Amino acid sequence: MRSFDTLRRYWRLLARYLQPQWPQMALLALILCGTIAVQVLTPLVASRFIDQATSGGAINELIFLALLTMGLALLGQGMAVAETYVAEHVSWAATNALRADLLAHLLRLESTFHNAHTPGELIERADGDVATLARFFSRFAIYILGNGALIIGILGLLVFVNWRVGLGLSAFVVLALLAMLRIRAGATPLWAAERQASADFYGFLGEYLSGLEDVHSSGAGAFVLRRCAEVMRSWLAVTLKAQMRGYALVASSQGLFALGTVVAFALSAMLFMDGTLTIGTVYLIFRYTEMLRQPTEQIRNEVQDLQQADASSGRIETLLSTMPGLLDGPGATLPPGPLAVELDSVSFGYAEDNLVLCDLSVLLQPGRVLGVVGRTGSGKTTLTRLLSRFYDPLSGAVRLGGVDLRTVGIAAVRARIGLVSQDVHLFNASVRDNLTLFDGDVPDAKIRDVLKQLDLTDWLAELPHGLDTMLGSGGVGLSAGQAQVLACARIFLRDPDVVILDEASSRLDPATERLVHSALGRLLSGRTGIIVAHRLSTVAYADDILVLEDGQVREYGSRQTLMADPTSHFAELLQIATQEISS
Amino acid sequence: MRPLPTWHYTLKMARYAPWLYLLHALLWSLMNVLTLLPGLIAKAFFDTLTGNAQLPGGITGLLILLSILAVGRAALWLIAGYVEITFRFTMSGLVRRNLLRLVLALPGASALPFSIGETISRFRDDAYEAEDNMDWTDEIISHGLFAVVAFVILLRINVSMALVVILPTVVVAAIAQRASAALGRYRAASSQATSHVTGAIGDIVAAVQTIQSAGAEQRIVAHFRRLNERRRSAILADRVVTQAVDAITANTVSIGTGLIMLLAASNLRDGSLTVGDFVLFIAYLGFIADFTTGIGQYLAHYRQTGVAFARLDTLLGAAAPDALVAPIPLHLRGPLPAVPAPTRSATDQLTLLEASGLTYRYPQGGRGIAAVDLRLQRGTLTVVTGRVGAGKTTLLRAMLGLLPRPEGTPAGEIRWNGQLVEDFVSFFVPPRCAYTAQVPRLFNETLKQNILLGLPDDPAALTAAVRSAVLEHDVQALDSGLETLIGSGGVKLSGGQVQRAAAARMFVRKAELLVIDDLSSALDVETERMLWERLLSDGAVTCLAVSHRRAALSRADQIIVLKDGRVEAQGTLDELLASSAEMRRLWADEAAETRPADLIE
Repeated sequence: MRSFDTLRRYWRLLARYLQPQWPQMALLALILCGTIAVQVLTPLVASRFIDQATSGGAINELIFLALLTMGLALLGQGMAVAETYVAEHVSWAATNALRADLLAHLLRLESTFHNAHTPGELIERADGDVATLARFFSRFAIYILGNGALIIGILGLLVFVNWRVGLGLSAFVVLALLAMLRIRAGATPLWAAERQASADFYGFLGEYLSGLEDVHSSGAGAFVLRRCAEVMRSWLAVTLKAQMRGYALVASSQGLFALGTVVAFALSAMLFMDGTLTIGTVYLIFRYTEMLRQPTEQIRNEVQDLQQADASSGRIETLLSTMPGLLDGPGATLPPGPLAVELDSVSFGYAEDNLVLCDLSVLLQPGRVLGVVGRTGSGKTTLTRLLSRFYDPLSGAVRLGGVDLRTVGIAAVRARIGLVSQDVHLFNASVRDNLTLFDGDVPDAKIRDVLKQLDLTDWLAELPHGLDTMLGSGGVGLSAGQAQVLACARIFLRDPDVVILDEASSRLDPATERLVHSALGRLLSGRTGIIVAHRLSTVAYADDILVLEDGQVREYGSRQTLMADPTSHFAELLQIATQEISS
Repeated sequence: MRPLPTWHYTLKMARYAPWLYLLHALLWSLMNVLTLLPGLIAKAFFDTLTGNAQLPGGITGLLILLSILAVGRAALWLIAGYVEITFRFTMSGLVRRNLLRLVLALPGASALPFSIGETISRFRDDAYEAEDNMDWTDEIISHGLFAVVAFVILLRINVSMALVVILPTVVVAAIAQRASAALGRYRAASSQATSHVTGAIGDIVAAVQTIQSAGAEQRIVAHFRRLNERRRSAILADRVVTQAVDAITANTVSIGTGLIMLLAASNLRDGSLTVGDFVLFIAYLGFIADFTTGIGQYLAHYRQTGVAFARLDTLLGAAAPDALVAPIPLHLRGPLPAVPAPTRSATDQLTLLEASGLTYRYPQGGRGIAAVDLRLQRGTLTVVTGRVGAGKTTLLRAMLGLLPRPEGTPAGEIRWNGQLVEDFVSFFVPPRCAYTAQVPRLFNETLKQNILLGLPDDPAALTAAVRSAVLEHDVQALDSGLETLIGSGGVKLSGGQVQRAAAARMFVRKAELLVIDDLSSALDVETERMLWERLLSDGAVTCLAVSHRRAALSRADQIIVLKDGRVEAQGTLDELLASSAEMRRLWADEAAETRPADLIE
């Protein structure tokens, strides 16, 4: 039952990724047939050579046979190069398509998934696991078929030469293949564990490598090395188990084939002494017995790769079948223009028993700007995530322009929202691609204009290749503040109807922040805005204020009203800040 | 110039586990013996059949011997397998652990010249090349030795034919040597392309929310496809060239086979060569051919290993190249290594820290800092302020030695209690100094482990640190308190919680000097005020902080205003408000924060 599922899984993978490449696959099959022909012919030539030489045949024929052997060998090598080219071409085209599909799928999955998996681990799954499938894609089917045909061909010839020898060896081949399949059967979970252990190791590495500064300044190098030993140790234990299965496979097939040779020798010795066989035929049987080993080992290699491929393809399927927790709605459309934002008795928590937002109701009219303040951990960022539909509320509804987000396509929601979050991520790509997120349709003039609005013209002028300067690793470094300004620049290049700024300027000095906010203020005119901030200056141009506390509305109203009311919490916050000034 | 010749690394790695290496070599030599013996048995078999030899055991004896060999070989294969797995894991483990050790010792800030994904590809693929190289060296040597044995056996049968066998071997070795330079180039290009792909996956999954919220999924995937395509063509070229070199070597050998047949033709006819001899020639030619093909591949691989070591070397910073294979324990068995508790000495106690002429220029852009002087008294708070790009973080990092520089420490000198500090990187660590970065990172461990990071578990100190960081309420709210697993697979903390957990990590180290880069960027006004209050309540704390916030500025004993990388002004808040226009501007902007225009109206 399980193996049937596995077969179906392979069939799906093959159908999807190899179908577009059937001409190359056909060519590969052709090359393989040629290789088989060369392999079968060579011993026949040698056998005839021995019989002719020992019985005093014509020297010309002997020379011809010798040259023929050389020619066949050259042909075989030529085909090996061609085979590599075609097979690699096929496998890389197929696995790259799979890699791209996996990445696209990862981009469909929501934060819950990404919080649970480190980038290092996902690299291992989207690249490492796929790499183990490369061989499977290019060679598995053709090699199993091709080598199977070769074995049957050789056994057929042997039966033709002498039926007793032929049948005896056939029994050995069947025995060897059965033994291999049996050993293979239990190996898949071991390989799955091996792949997971290696993903764990690289997950561990990736995490600490991205926190080097923290490790160094905490003097925690020894601690990290201890963890490294722990992770490596469990990896070794798992890898030993899995790989020993592979060695058992080789040992059993080699042992069986050596015994097969013994049987072939015994039979042909008896028949030679009877006078039934010539010495050349005995050599032929000897060579063919030796030759049987190669295709059986090829099949064994494929099967061995299949163990890893089994584990990897299982992990890939699991990844691909991890459905996004959020599904596109039936396709209601949002009204055009600035959108009203409404939270209607919304409760939400990342874990069921721990609510981050509790029965929250807010209604923001189109074109107004809402400032959200509150202590750390009060649920401000969570609120912005619900608005961009990174999560659905556990109860209640989130509406844009009066339409429940769950009834709209996710992409349609996000197309209307521009979000700048706390975390700034840059790509190892040009300044242009980092700002437009690889949208080649944005004219340079527009980019330059935005950079000018954000006072980055001087910065741009200093870059060695202007907009084509590479950022990120190996390129120009940015301070945390500069990166944050660039992240803000991204939404200027889009045309969102709702702008959400989640601590978008927290790492800026007041002077730069004011500059960025005056630009953002211009951007916000005619749009609905939500500004999450710790600093009160950041919400200075908000129309309404929401004070969150422990996921509940502590206070909500127009900023003017709240400021004018000395008993309001907002006024109290302003008071504290003012005291700070005068102290 | 930097990376060593590959053989140097190879030798060091072999010396790391000499017994394991020898055992591995011995087992593979035995395997070669068991491969050569059946050839001799086959020769005896054919010679007995054709009446050219008389053996005491006869055909039956030969067949029994052959059966014993078969079983022995299978058993040997299992043992050799176990040793090989352990050996290979130890070899790449040594490189990986050393690499991690050296990377951890680098100046922290922009320590890695590559993205995380690219760095991981080096840890994974290049260390694997090194492992493969070790596995191959003793095998190729042993194979070579037995190829000589096989050759001597053939020489004793027929000198001229044996020489025809050896000739192609020499030709092949020469060709492979020439080709290996080209192979190195192709391998470097394909490794580079692979790194770009893994780097991109890392970047992309880290930024998944940014991409999703911008609706840029399809464009990102298209970008990824382009990187994939580049990798495909690079690897295709690499593989085909490797296969072509193999084909050349194999072809030379096939021509050798043909030559044997040509020479054997007359000898077989006149009986000076038996069928058994011929069988042995063909069998041993195969063995010797495997060696010539193998040595060609090995030389090519050796070159590729050189590329791998060169790629690994780029991560080492100032460490000696052979530190990559330094003999350090791997702790794969037995008790785990203890994490040494930090030791404090009387000279560590800070009374006065002076820095003069601190200068740093970024190699890429022109920005940096120039000629900054600092003077920190015990028990004082110094705040560095200035606009974005003024060089505040650079100043802290230059002082802590966190910035990479080929010549080691940045220009300028630092005196700790009047004593010149030689190496900033190793000096400014706990218990002398602890630092919280602007964007601190937490790891996939429990909250407690994240704070302690290997320090001995002292509940009182831990509680105090959590309180100083104003984190106690957050800890209470977590299901398992300090034992809660955070990060991927655990609870995700908010930005402010991460900053305060990092602060607790700094406090628990009880360092003489605390260096804080804009700790409060994700904190609200009240939390920030409490944090500064609790931090400064212990009068002995010496603190250097970057901040724009009034909560910090108003409590500072001295303020340093940076502008374009230079000290614009320095003094107490009142002095600076009187004397410095830049300070007044920064201060006024902060005022605008708390007194919005319409509040004043």
